[in-house]
Order: sequence, then structure tokens, then C-alpha cells
Amino acid sequence: MTFDLGMPLLAEVALFALAVLVLIVGLITQGNAHQRIGWLTLIGLVGVLGLTFVATEGASLFSLSFVQDDFALFAKRLFIVATMVSLLGSLTLRHSTFARRSAEYHFAILSSLVGMMVLASARDLVLIFVAFELMSIPLYVLTGFLKRDSTTSEAALKFFLVGTVSSAVIAYGMSFIYGVTGSTALEAIGPALADGSPLMVLGMTMLFAGLSFKIAAFPFHMWAPDAYEAASTPFVAWLAVAPKAAGFVAIIRLYVEGAGSTSLMWMPMVAAIAGMTIVTGNLMAIPQSNIKRLLAYSGIAHIGYMLIGLAAFSSSGVAMMLFYLVAYLFGNMGAFMVVEAVAQSESSDGIDAYKGLAQRSPLLALAMLIFLLSLGGIPFVAGFWAKLYVFWAAIERGLYGLVFLGAVLTVVALYYYLLVARRMYIETSDRTDPIPVPGLLGLAIVICLIGVIGIGVYPGPWVDMALRVASTLF
Amino acid sequence: MNLPLLSIMTWAPFVAALIIMFLGRRSPLLVRWTAVLGAFVSLVASLYVYWAYDRVAAGFQFGEKFALVPSLGISYELGLDGMSALMVLLTSIIIFAGAFASWTVKERGQEFYALLLLLVTGVYGVFVSLDLFVFFLFYEIAVLPMYLLIGIWGSSGYVKPQGIFGWAMGRTGVGTKEYAAMKLTLYLLFGSAFILVGILALYVANGSRSFSFLDFQAMNIDPTLQSWVFLAFYIGFGILAAIWPFHTWSPDGHASAPTAVSMLHAGVLMKLGAYGVVRLGMGLLPDASVEWAWLVGAIACINIVYGALSALAQTDLKYVIAYSSVSHMGVVMLGAATLTQTGLNGSVFQMFAHGIMTGLFFALVGLVYEKSHSREIFKMGGFGTMMPGIATAFTIAGLSSLGLPATAGFVAEFLTFLGAWSSAHPWWLFPGVIGALLTSIYVLRVTKAIFWGPPSTDPHFQNLPDAVGTEWAALGILVFVLVLFGVVPSLAIAPIDTATMPLLMRLTGR
Repeated sequence: MTFDLGMPLLAEVALFALAVLVLIVGLITQGNAHQRIGWLTLIGLVGVLGLTFVATEGASLFSLSFVQDDFALFAKRLFIVATMVSLLGSLTLRHSTFARRSAEYHFAILSSLVGMMVLASARDLVLIFVAFELMSIPLYVLTGFLKRDSTTSEAALKFFLVGTVSSAVIAYGMSFIYGVTGSTALEAIGPALADGSPLMVLGMTMLFAGLSFKIAAFPFHMWAPDAYEAASTPFVAWLAVAPKAAGFVAIIRLYVEGAGSTSLMWMPMVAAIAGMTIVTGNLMAIPQSNIKRLLAYSGIAHIGYMLIGLAAFSSSGVAMMLFYLVAYLFGNMGAFMVVEAVAQSESSDGIDAYKGLAQRSPLLALAMLIFLLSLGGIPFVAGFWAKLYVFWAAIERGLYGLVFLGAVLTVVALYYYLLVARRMYIETSDRTDPIPVPGLLGLAIVICLIGVIGIGVYPGPWVDMALRVASTLF
Repeated sequence: MNLPLLSIMTWAPFVAALIIMFLGRRSPLLVRWTAVLGAFVSLVASLYVYWAYDRVAAGFQFGEKFALVPSLGISYELGLDGMSALMVLLTSIIIFAGAFASWTVKERGQEFYALLLLLVTGVYGVFVSLDLFVFFLFYEIAVLPMYLLIGIWGSSGYVKPQGIFGWAMGRTGVGTKEYAAMKLTLYLLFGSAFILVGILALYVANGSRSFSFLDFQAMNIDPTLQSWVFLAFYIGFGILAAIWPFHTWSPDGHASAPTAVSMLHAGVLMKLGAYGVVRLGMGLLPDASVEWAWLVGAIACINIVYGALSALAQTDLKYVIAYSSVSHMGVVMLGAATLTQTGLNGSVFQMFAHGIMTGLFFALVGLVYEKSHSREIFKMGGFGTMMPGIATAFTIAGLSSLGLPATAGFVAEFLTFLGAWSSAHPWWLFPGVIGALLTSIYVLRVTKAIFWGPPSTDPHFQNLPDAVGTEWAALGILVFVLVLFGVVPSLAIAPIDTATMPLLMRLTGR
């Protein structure tokens, strides 16, 4: 086998090498290595992102258990972009923990990213499970990274315990599948299901329960708000997007590619979960007084909207789910970056810290408003198209009830987003000094703004891309 | 040369809004004149298309079209028929007068005008877009800025919690501008959720090829689907048109909003709801329109009487006008429900007449409030001697409201009632006439109490000034239009005819 830049697994290997390099640099640097390591990681990630663009489409390894198809490349780029935005934000963190243990922080993030990247390409049950664990375990560590107080440890422990239990459920489910098919390849799932083996149905259902935890869908969503509140905000921005996207990638691989049309039997269940997730997330977000918890619950609701796309179980449905992920990435990460900017200046995550923001920092307030409107699904920003396309895909399959529920709860979502807007624009504060925004954080916010508005004003190419990627799966 | 007139009209306010955002806070006068200029460009364009619209050829004219998202069949498609020509004219007049009427907005004037103009862009867009998707986009732009406009620049009134919902009223803060802004926004967005589902259902039934109005019109839709979609449109747009029992956002919102916003919202945006029902509901779903006409008409009757009775019970001047809007929107919906040529003409004419009239009313209420700092009807009195100009304009608006001949209001109500009498449900005439009677009671009562009654002894209400400067411009324009269309109704009837005739042919021709 000859070496070329487009060969599969090269990006993952390069990423792993970068992680090791980060660890070494951390060891040999005296004192505060946060800036140096952060920049090293960022530049390395640019290189890896470049690798995904020269990768040979359709190449595979290990007798088709590691594929580099359109879908995998799409997911990988999404993960890397999310990581880069998050790292831009975390470079501005002045917390002493980051000064001392920066190498660990970046190493953990990079190893989790390796897990996601492998997951995106994996078409084998064992590989999927291993990649999932590689992704998840650093997340538990990172959640408790700040070691601020007992609530941080509690959140990390909660996340860890529920996370490992769900991993166990996934493994248990996979063992049933292996027991029936005698193979770990995804191709074996469809035919075995078609034979109607009850063990297969049980296994796949357990698998879905385990994955529901990873994407924080109802009723496995409880960990999210606690974890979000405890961890550092730039990391949370990433946690809210990348691992959930990875969960969806696994779901698509297993149920769309693996099981194929036989997974239609789960779609009523998925529709019910989607509905419950939307209702729970949106209703629970209303009473929150901490902006991170509010965004956590709103994020849960967004997962529900993406599940609508899955419930439609069509090429356009999956495409719109992918499009939704992109829109959610920019909108959600942007909002968290603004939260970080405000938190650094006000030392508070309370919604009341946003009082009079429009008078103090008009641009920051406008950016937040745009992100919130995008999350709320208002035209000319990305989130609108995302919701609309998901609804369209669902109506094509006749899911009128679900679409109606989703559309009505959008109004509920706008209520709590507008409550934040009300603090920023209508209420006034006795403080008039502008909020200082560190340059890199500002850059991260601007990138997200460009994403949200760019997709919002001209969604055509993104939709076409999502449709193309999804069409290869059916 | 073929100018894209409709685009110019739609986007001129938007461009003005952008310029205003970059002008800076130090030059409030420049901001206002930019706003007036933006509104003026639209006014000229809308006057021109109104005049140049070919009434013999009829149909949609001044078309523009280019693809936005070809893979989903979304295109930027504009066009204008007789009904929308009248509606854009109304919008132009109201925003032009509104820009003058809010001359005194002091605080954060830059953002105020920018948001106001953004809102107007949305309104124009709705009236001229022929692509249902673009229509919906504009619709949302027309709804959303309202939250900030009312929330920031609105005024809070005191509403005494009473009745069986008293405890809820106390808890939610009824009467405050924040409450009103949130209520209005959520109601309207709730409505737009229905509209979106309706549009998507039609789109999918059409094979997901195109969002074009004309393509939808050309297709045969299954009657059951029609029935559901019509209900979705009726509720969705009806909320904006303040149909009972979804009207409660309207009095709160209009009473709390600043003058120009009340003018625009009551004058134009509520028409947008009625326009939506007629254009999308009746235009695309003929079978369902006939099927549900009884419901639309019956609820319209409730609107007329209920709104008038509620207006009668108010002591706050702004709430009286706001409830009168609820009542008058009932006339609009009643005219549409008659499914007769006369009734439909009356309905569209009432959209226009009520728009101008309510715009004038809210401008006047704003002026009275600004000079006297009071909205309490029965505390004021004898203002007619102090502010004769305002008093005269108010009386003219009031007479139009109760349907006196030689005002636009008379033509509209007369046509509507005539249509109701010749429709399948002649009894609709009676609630209509009762509503007109109640209207004359509350209008004359208010006019007498504030302007023509004995002077108030309250020291606050002595030596109040009349309207000044640009305020005259706002009042003059609106009074002129109100009387002009009352004396020469054919100015509006002729273009309306070109739109309602084909509509009725589709409704009854099968």
C-alpha cells in the first residue's frame, strides 16, 4: 500500500500524533503553557481539516469496517470546525487550572475528537463501540476539569455514572445482535431483522436507548443541564454540539445504513421520543435563571427537532437532520461564546447579568439576539431553514401531528429566548461600561455569526450538500 | 426601461433602515428625514403602480422572478393585483404619516426608526410576494420587530385586576408594555406556526416542486386536505386579523404601543391577516372556502358585536380605539364570508378604509396623550376649544368609523351589508347593523366627552396646544384620503373589482 494524502485513517493518525505532541510540549514547557499549546492545537487542527478535504472519497480499510464516504467526511469536518471554535474560546480562559494543566485539557479534547472521527467512519459494531468510548471518557474528565466545588464534582460524577451505564446498555444490545448474526458488520443487521428475530429487535432497541443518552434525548436528558452548568463555557459549547452530532452519526450508521428499511418499525417510537424531547426541553427551559441551564434545555429541545428528521426516515429527512446539525453548531456555539464573554466580565451566568446589555455593548447584544433568533427559528438566520426543512421532510411522510407539535413549541421556545432579549434590550442597568470581549472570543463569535447569517441568507449550497450526503445512505 | 418597481417599493425602507443604523446617534433629525425619504420612495412607487396598473388586463402585473433555492422550488417572485395594489397604497400612506407622527420619539430614535422601517419592508413584501415561501419570510419580518418596538418604546397603562381571571391578571402584569409585547408576539408567532404547517402541507401535496402561488392555484387539491389547510390558514391569519376569541392580544398591544407602531399595526398589519385569509385561504382553497364560509361569517358577527360592546365599556381612550379595531375587522371578515362580489368588494374596501381611519385615530390619540398626558376619557373634557384641529380630525375619523356617508367607512360598511343581505346567510346583516349602531354610541360618547363637552376643571388640562409642524402633515394626509375615498369610491372599487371577480369565479364556478 502506497502512501498518499487521501488515504483513509490518515487524518485520525495525524490527530493522534498531534495529541501526543501536545502532551510532550506540555511536559517540557515551564510555567504557563496555555497559549502555546492552544495555538499548536489550533494550527494542527487546520492541517487535519485540510486532510479531510484531500481525502479520497469512497476509500475503505479493514474489509469495509472503516469507510471514508461522503457522510463520514461531512461529519469529520463538522467535528473539527466545532472543536476549533471551542478552542478559540478556551484560549481566552484565564482560570489558573488552565494555566497549570493546559496540556491535559487539550489532550483530552483531541483524544475525544479522535474517537468522533473514527466513529464517523466506523461500519463495524466493535469499532463503533470503541470509538464511542474513546469519545466519551475524556468528556467525563473535562466536565470535572475545573474542580471548582462539590457541584462540579457531582455533575461530573453524574455524567460519568449515567454515561457508563448507557455504554453498558449499548454493549449489551450489541451482544444480542452479534449473538443472532454471528457478525459485527453492519450489513448483517438488516437481513437478520428481516428474519424477525425477537432478540434482534431487543438488541436494536437497547442500542437506541443507549444512544439516546449520548444525544440527551428524553428521558435520558437529565445529565445535560448539570454538566453544562459545571464545566467551562467554551468546552460546554463543544459538548453541546460535537458529541451529540457524533451520537446522531452513530444512529444514522446503525439504523439507516445498517438496518435499512427494517428500522421503520422503530420510527413511531422515535417520533414519540422526538415529541417528548421537544416538549420537555422547551418547558423546562422557561423557569431557568441560569443562561447555561437555559441553553442546555433549549439544546435538548433541538435534539428533539433533529429526531423529527430521523422519524421521517427518508433521504430528505436525514439530509435535513444533517443541515440542522450545521445550523445548530453555529447558533448554539455562538450563543455560548457570548455567554463566556459576559461571564468573564460579570462573573455570573445568571440571566440577570444581561440587563441593559444593548446599551452597554450593542454589538454583543445584537450578536446574542441573532443567535437566539437562529435557535428560535426566525427567517434569515440559519435556524429557520433548519426547522423548516425538518418539518417539510416530516410532512412528506405524513407526520402532521409531530410537525404541529414542533411548530407550536417553537413559540414556547421563542418565549424564553425573548425573555433574554427583554433583559438585553428593554430592561436597563445602572452600569454603562461596555463589556470587554477578548479578541479570540470575538473571532469565535464572528465566525459563528458568519455561519448563522451566511446559511440564513443563502442556504442553497448547504441544503444541496446535505441532500447529496444523505442520498448515499439510502 | 423596466424598473423592478415592486422590489424598489419593498426594499427602500430596508435600505433606509440600514443607512439609519450607520448614521450614528448624534443626528436625530437626519435619522428622521432618512426615514421619511425611505417611506417617500415607497409612496411614490406605490402611487405609480396603483395608477399604472392595467385594469383591463387584470391579473398579476409588474412581475419579477428569479430562483432562490432551485432544488426546492423557492423563488423570489413578486406580482401585484388590484387588491394588493390597494393594500400597498394603504401601507405607504400609513408609514409616511407615521414617520411624521412619531417625530417626537426622543429616546433611542435611531433604533426606533430602523425597526419601524424593517417592519414595513416585511409588510410590503407580504402584499406583493407571489411565492408562498417568500410570503412567509416577509410575514415573519412584519411580526417580530414588534416585540422590541412595543417593549422598548411602549407605554404601560394601569389595568385593574378584576373578574374571574383577576388573580391571573395580577400575576402576569396586564397593562404593562412588557406583558403586551410578549403577548402580541407569542400570539402572532403561534398563528404563524399554523400558517407554516398549512403552506408545507400544500407544498407536499403539490409534489414538493414549487412554492409559487400561481402553481398552487393551478392544481387540484383534495377537498379533505383543503378543509384542514383552510382551517390552519384561517386560525393562523385570523389571529393577526383579531378574530374572536384570539383577539385579546390586539387591545393590549395597541394600547401599549407607541403611536407610529399602533398606527401601523392596527392600520396595516391586521389587514395583513385578513389579506392572508382572502388571498391564500379563499384564493387557493375554493371548496374549503365555501365549506367554511358559515364559520368565518358567524365568528365575524361575534367580532362586530363583541368588539363594539367591549369598546363601549372602556374608560381608556386607546383601549376604545383598539376594541373598535376588533369590531371593524369583523366587518372585513364578514364581507369576505359573504362570497358575493359586493361583499368581497366591501371587505377589501373596509381593509383600506379602516386602515386609514385607525391610523388617524391612533395618531390623534398619540397627540392628545402627548399634550395632556392622559388617556382617561372621563377626566378630560372641552379640548375642542383648545385644540380645534385635533378635535376636527377626531370627529371626522369618528364619523367615518360609524359609517357616515361621504367618508370611506360608509362605502365599506354599505357594500358589506349589501353583500351580507344577498348572501346565503342574510341574517348576518343584523349583527352588522347592531355593530354599526353600537359604534355610533361609543364614538359619539368619546368625542363628546373629550372634545365637545364641558371643559374639565382639572388644572392639568388647561391651555393645551394644538397640533404643530409635522403633525399637521400626518393628520392632513390621513383626513384627505379618508374623505377622498368616501366621495369617489370608484378610485378603489375599480381595482378591487379586477381582483375579486376572478376570485369569485373560482369559488362559485365549480
